[in-house]
Amino acid sequence: MDAPETIMIEGFAHVVAVNGAVAWLEPEVTTSCSSCASSLACGSPGIGTLANRVKARRFSLTNTEDFIVGERIIVGVRENTLVKASITVYALPLVTMLGAGIVAQWAAGRDGITLVASIVGLLLGFGIARLSANHLMARGNMNLSFIRRADEASCSK
Amino acid sequence: MQDYVMLMVSAALVNNVILARFLGLCSFMGVTTRVDTAIGMGLATTFVITVSSIFDWAVQIYLLEPFGLGYLRTVTFILIIAAAVQFTEMTVRKISPPLFQMLGIYLPLITTNCAVLGVALLVVEGKLGLIASVLFAFSSSLGYSLVMIIFAGLRERLALADVPRLFAGPPIGFITAGLLALAFMGFSGIGAR
Repeated sequence: MDAPETIMIEGFAHVVAVNGAVAWLEPEVTTSCSSCASSLACGSPGIGTLANRVKARRFSLTNTEDFIVGERIIVGVRENTLVKASITVYALPLVTMLGAGIVAQWAAGRDGITLVASIVGLLLGFGIARLSANHLMARGNMNLSFIRRADEASCSK
Repeated sequence: MQDYVMLMVSAALVNNVILARFLGLCSFMGVTTRVDTAIGMGLATTFVITVSSIFDWAVQIYLLEPFGLGYLRTVTFILIIAAAVQFTEMTVRKISPPLFQMLGIYLPLITTNCAVLGVALLVVEGKLGLIASVLFAFSSSLGYSLVMIIFAGLRERLALADVPRLFAGPPIGFITAGLLALAFMGFSGIGAR
């Protein structure tokens, strides 16, 4: 009986640099922002340009497949990784913030104290999220993996 | 206590951000091709809406109202939301760079998501206390996430269905969204006295 195949979330990336055994990649932006008719007039690029955002999301991969600069490849993460990551980064701080706010309101009954307690709860939540993220990283749950070269893919979409 | 529960049920289901108020339709159609991405976007939006609602409330109560600056509300709230998104982005990057690489894609989309501004304006129009405002914002965004996930699940199934060519893609998506909105109308009787 065959082992169940791991379902991966796939995405395109460009090889921007190769440094020995390590290849540096940038994700290909396929969001609505890049193709929006109002992109020139939109305020969001002023906050952080698209190029800056892509550069900030640069990541490395072990160069086992002899990548060359400019090459377009498909990388993937396990399907449940995205959910785990979202829960770690967003849900944990939110729960601690709401918990601290509700307890403060119940105990003190004043909006000012609730406000301060909520902010403290949020910061505490970020601390817990950091520990949890380190734990996930140590278990290797967040690793991106090479799937195939984009040229090899049947580009039907 | 019962008031808080009714407020939350009303915000999440009866007056759902997407299906009753028609806010956030861009992400509703754009990020719902997979359940996992819908969960990611839903959680990110929930986080930003809830966090920014605290600061929106504080600015409204301690700054805009006392100084009669109500006409600056929309501009101020946009600034707060953009700041909240930037803060979240920086924090996620600091907490874990690999998580930022994975989740960072959603954050720029949230800055321009009208659901975030819409909920912020609804929060202050409700003239609620801080904790009620935060719970309202949290439940509204939970309702948003719930609909995103349900719709993503439906679209995953539709992708495998034999849909007539004329309806394939966005048309069947819009029809499904309409049927989902009709289903959510069933909640409209909750809380009616």
